This record gives sequence, C-alpha cells and structure tokens, in this order.
Amino acid sequence: MASKGLRVLSTGLQPKCSLSYRGLFQQLAKGGTVTIVSKRSCSYFTYVPEEPPETAGEVRQMNLCQAVNNAMEIALQTDPTAVIFGEDVAFGGVFGATRDLATKFGKDRVFNTPICEHGIAGAGIGVAIAGSTAVIEMQFADYIMPAFDQIINEASRMRYRSGNTFTSAGLTIRAPSGGINHGAIYHSSSPETFFTHMPGIKMVIPRGPIQAKGLLLSCIRENDPCIFFEPKILYRSAVDMVPTEDYMIPLGKAEKIQDGSDLTMVAWGTQIHVLRDVAKLAAEKYGITCDIIDLRTLNPWDMDTVANVRRNRLKQLRSFSA
Amino acid sequence: MATSRRVWSFSRRLKLHFSSLKPIYAAAPCVPVRFQGSSQQSGDHVITDAFKPPKEAFTLEDRPHFPGSSSKWTEKLCFVEPTRYDGIPVYRVMDRDGQIMDSTQDPNFNEETVVKMYHTMTLLNTMDRVLYDSQRQGRISFYMTNYGEEGTHIGSAAALDDKDLVFGQYRETGILMWRGFPIQQFMNQCYGNNAGGDKGRQMPVHYGCTERCFVTISSPLATQMPQAVGSAYAYKRAGNGQVVITYFGDGASSEGDAHAAFNFAATLDCPIIFFCRNNGYAISTPTAEQYRGDGIACRGPGYGMSAIRVDGNDVFAVYNVTKAAREIAFKENRPVLIEAMTYRIGHHSTSDDSSAYRSVDEVRYWDKHDHPIGRLRKYMFRKGLWDDDKEQAWMKKSKQTILTAFADAEKRKKSSPVECFRDVYKEMPWHIERQMQETKEHLAKYRDQYPLDKFDSWDD
Repeated sequence: MASKGLRVLSTGLQPKCSLSYRGLFQQLAKGGTVTIVSKRSCSYFTYVPEEPPETAGEVRQMNLCQAVNNAMEIALQTDPTAVIFGEDVAFGGVFGATRDLATKFGKDRVFNTPICEHGIAGAGIGVAIAGSTAVIEMQFADYIMPAFDQIINEASRMRYRSGNTFTSAGLTIRAPSGGINHGAIYHSSSPETFFTHMPGIKMVIPRGPIQAKGLLLSCIRENDPCIFFEPKILYRSAVDMVPTEDYMIPLGKAEKIQDGSDLTMVAWGTQIHVLRDVAKLAAEKYGITCDIIDLRTLNPWDMDTVANVRRNRLKQLRSFSA
Repeated sequence: MATSRRVWSFSRRLKLHFSSLKPIYAAAPCVPVRFQGSSQQSGDHVITDAFKPPKEAFTLEDRPHFPGSSSKWTEKLCFVEPTRYDGIPVYRVMDRDGQIMDSTQDPNFNEETVVKMYHTMTLLNTMDRVLYDSQRQGRISFYMTNYGEEGTHIGSAAALDDKDLVFGQYRETGILMWRGFPIQQFMNQCYGNNAGGDKGRQMPVHYGCTERCFVTISSPLATQMPQAVGSAYAYKRAGNGQVVITYFGDGASSEGDAHAAFNFAATLDCPIIFFCRNNGYAISTPTAEQYRGDGIACRGPGYGMSAIRVDGNDVFAVYNVTKAAREIAFKENRPVLIEAMTYRIGHHSTSDDSSAYRSVDEVRYWDKHDHPIGRLRKYMFRKGLWDDDKEQAWMKKSKQTILTAFADAEKRKKSSPVECFRDVYKEMPWHIERQMQETKEHLAKYRDQYPLDKFDSWDD
C-alpha cells in the first residue's frame, strides 16, 4: 500500500509538524514523502543569497552561524595567542557558533567560563592587555548589560586614558542579537545603539554569511575593541556560498546593495532583507525605486556612502529593529 | 579536624517550634566542617591548610554523587554558622615595636634591602605630604595619600618580580615607586602637564607605566580585578614566567567584579595574587557596614582559593606572604588571596574630611602606635642600621628630591587641547578628525577667551 505523503506546514522559518520528529523519520523510512509548505503567518522577509566575489576561490555553502564558526577557526589558526571563551562555548555554544573549535584547538583556547558577563568582559580586556587576542561571547545580546561597565568605562577608554600605552585592542565581543520567532523580551534585544555612541569601541553587524565571516575576521584583527552582533534569525535562514579562504571586509565602510532613484533606505543586519522586500513592494505598487545601503559598521559609520546620493533625492528612510 | 555536635531530636523540636517559627537552628552548636584537602604546608612557606574539598575517587560507598559537590551525607540538620568559628588569624613577623617574634620567619634581609624599603616608604610619605598640601593650595586638582599603608605597598612589591604585571586600584603608589618610577613622572601626572603619560586626560594619582608593568589606574572600583585574571590566563598560556597581582580595598571587594574575578581565577587556574588592602574604611563606610563575614580572606576558600590574612603594617610579614603566594601562583597555576590588615590614616582623598565620620583620637592612635614606617624604623634602630643623624640627612635629601621635581612639573605647560581627540582609536576616524578640526578653528577664532598660553600649541 502506497504511503500517504505528509504535508508539513511551515510557519515562519522552522517547519512545524503535528507529528514528532520520530514520526517524521518513520514516514520517510517507509518511503513516504514529506512536503514542506511555507505559509506566512506574520510579517517577515525573504533572504536573498549574496553572490561571492568573482575573485573568490573555493566556496562552500554556509549559513551565518557556520560562517562565524569558520571565521573563528581561521582566527585560531592564524593567531596562536587567540582564545575564545564565554558561557557554554566549549561544547559548541547554544547556537553552535563555536562547534568543534575546542576539539580542534584545545580546551585551553576554547573554554567555558562561569555565568558572569562582567567577568567575561573583564577577563577579555585582561587577555588583550597582556597582548593576546580574546574573542568572547555573550550568550545573548540581551545579557551584555552586566558587562556594560567593563565595555564602556574600561575597554573603550583603555587606550585614551593611558596615553596610548595600554590598549584592549585584541578584544572582540560577539553576541547573537535581534528578534526571533519565540525569543520574546529577553532573547530578542537589539542593544547596538547603546554601544554605537561610545567612542573607543567599534560596533559591527553583518547582513549575511559572506559579510559575517569577513567582518568578524576584521573585528578580531582590528587594533581597537570591537562588538560584533550576529542577527540570530539569520543563523540558519541566511545561506550563501562563502569563500573558504581567509578574507576580511573593511570596517567603517557601508555598502550600497541596491540602486534606486526616489528614496534612500539605510539599515543593517536583518532589516536589510526587510527593506529589500519593502523596496520590491514599493516598486510594484507605487513605482518607487529605492537605494538600499547596509551600514555594516555602525560606529564609526560611513557617512560618505550614505551622503553620496543623487542631489535630487533628499528623502531617506532608516530602519532598525528595537 | 574533629567537630563536636550535640545530638538533638529533630522531630521533637519541630513539634515544639513549628508554629512559632523561631530560629531554633541558630542555637545549634554546629561549626563549619573544615575539609582536609591536600596540605599546603612545606618548609618553604608558612601558610595554613586551604579549605579544599576531598578529592577521593568515585566509589560505590553510600555518598552523595551530585556533580556539584563531593561531600558526605548527614542526618543532622545543622547550619554552618558564621559566628561560630574564629576569624582567620593575622600573620606577623614583628610586633609593634619592631621585634622579630619568631626568628624562623625573619626574612633576613641585608642592610641594603632594609634601607631601600625604609627609603621608599618615607619618600612616598614625603611626596604625599607635599602633593596633599599642593592640592590645598590650588596647584593640583586632587590627590590621594597613602598614609599608613606604605607597608602593604613596599612589602608586596619587594616580593614580586619586577616584570610581574600589577593592576592597582588607586592607593598603590608605593609599588610604582619601588620599581623606580621617577618622582618627576608622579608629579607630571598629578599636574596633568605635557610630560605626564596620560597627556592630562585623567585625574591625579591615575598612574600607569608599561616599562614597569603597572597598568594605568582607572577610577571605577574593582574593574581591574577580572582584567587581571584575563591577563594571568594569557601569561599562563604564554609561559613567560610571570604572575599577575591585583590590589583592591575592603570596599572594592564588595563589587560584583571582585566576585567575578575570584571565581574566574579559581575555575580557570590562573597564576594571580589577589591583594586586599583592608584599611578599615571605604571613604566613610567602615568595614562593619561593608561586610558581615570574617573580612575578605574568608571568601577565598569559598571560591576554592588559598587565603591568608597578614598584618599590613609589618613590611616583613607582607613580604613573606607575598613571596609565598607568588610561589604558589606561579608553580601551581592557581590564585591566592592575601588580606593585608592596615589602617587608612589619611582622608580618603583631598575631597574628603574624615573627621566627619571618625574620631581624631582613633586616627592619632594608629599614626603614633601602629605605623609601618615607625615599626620598621624601630627595627632598624635596634639592629644598628639607622640612627637620628641618618634620619635627618635622609629627610632633608628626600624632601629636596620631591620639591625639585615638584617645581619642574609646575613650570611645564599642559598638553595641547587637541590631545582630547587623539588616541580614542588607533587611527583617528573621520568624525573625530572633523571635531578636532572644528575645535582648532574655534580656538583660533576665539583665542583670547582661552588661557592658551598655559597649553602646548598645535599644528593647523
């Protein structure tokens, strides 16, 4: 008897199923078919993969989380002083961003800390003061707040207050940020603006995997402390063909990803993809064409790219999730 | 260590006291179980056993097997009461008259070392007096003295290697002085002039020096502690033969960063010495309002660290414990906590008048009867290493050294105003460059409104 095909309704980005996963696999094992039907249940966006540069050599399919993992792997390979630490990073992290790194590079280089964000940030600063490289993780950007004192009063001011003798240049702080299906109040925060207005640190947010890898490697190698927020909703849903080589994308440079003539739209991270859909809608419904500029680095931001628009277009829309 | 417990009937007590909910447990004569871990005693150093949990291998014996604790069962409901055990004793070498109590603890310094210790402590004291008065005269903006705590600085600094990294709080000037930081540089930083290492960006006493491995002081309390732990971890990986020491006060130990640092240092096996200067006050807050437990040393075992309490006014004792702590930290890659008991004879700073919250008699007692400089002087007199003539000559010379540096620092100009914009990042970004340019134009246009003759000029 032929098995009935199973239709799985996908709301948002994760497939939801009335059967358990076991039931799903049993269905597949019997030779049945599983069809995943996407149905928008709320406002969302479509991720459009970025094309790798023409000069890129070997490429490999990676989602944003895997691209971040790849960047950290390259950092650990090329910088023998680099260490990665935070809560639960040793087994791979709650999102898998540090998967396999402890196995490959050793527990002294990729290790867990107690649950204490100000301790993680402070220790990261200390590693940097000693001349080594620290890539620290805040489990969620929502929990970066206890580390606020160390970031604002210490990391950002270290070079300035010591007359350029001590620095926390080797410090990079990573955190998953932004909204997700089920995160609610305390797993969806976008606190980047708290740090955007602080001199002495750099604030960077990528829009996809190719961007994430290059920007994170730049952050890790930058001669200033950097904060790198990774839009968690893009961890699995954003997939590019990412160059496997060691490459960096410069900080402080925005990128215009779409040209238009009526409106300039500026955003970063997930909102870029929302704006892409908005631009498409605007073009179809109202005949309005839009520039879309991805800031990438929020601090210091690239005013030249944003301001360098056609003079007859004075309207600008900035979109950020809060 | 055997503990004695009175056997009492739990169910009977429960029936009697259930409704009243009286704190019956406080009366239970329980004392905390002291875990006998591996002994730390050796002929080389003189610290006591640490509170370490037993490390027996997993057996089928009827013991609890929780991942969070290796211990044993008890059927006696008994709280570990903080008031039912003696405080950690205070280690000393000399009594208040400078007499060695136990000759086996005498570090047996040669004359040169003892004299250097005395010279440094008194030079620091003289510099404090001059700079405190200069603030009162409006010549510098702010100052913090080290009166009464000179022993903690010099004793610990002498026990360290000069390349050990120091993270201070703000009252550790003596460490820098021991390491040869020029008096001129202290003065320059306090004056905020163009030769001060921080280019006038920080308040006075916020010294720093890469050459002498002294991380620049910052004002927020205890932030240096987890940073010191991170540096210690990096030093361990680098295998550079150095340890890290971080100083903090009794007040700063209440900060969350102190807890973070203790816990991280222990769990990450860091070669770090935590040195607490317990001087009795955090500005106006006495220790009775700062903590309820037995000071700071008692927290060490709670985090899995060795700890010791020492007489901070006994420079030899401070030396001995720091030396022993350094050996443990370096050889065994684990943190050690030292609590140096002392007294803050001066005000918190020039912005404070401590007569508002403590009696002048109390201060006078410590100044006259239990002062680290006085104690060392008595020792030196007793040993024939010092006398009144040498004292007079040295006081004259040290004051001259201070005043010469002072006069030079006062003459210097301040750094150029455009230094405000430099060193924020390694490379100046466009928006700070623009602000700097706007400031230059503003100053050029309105130069008569600003005392620019007191500042270095700048390139346009």
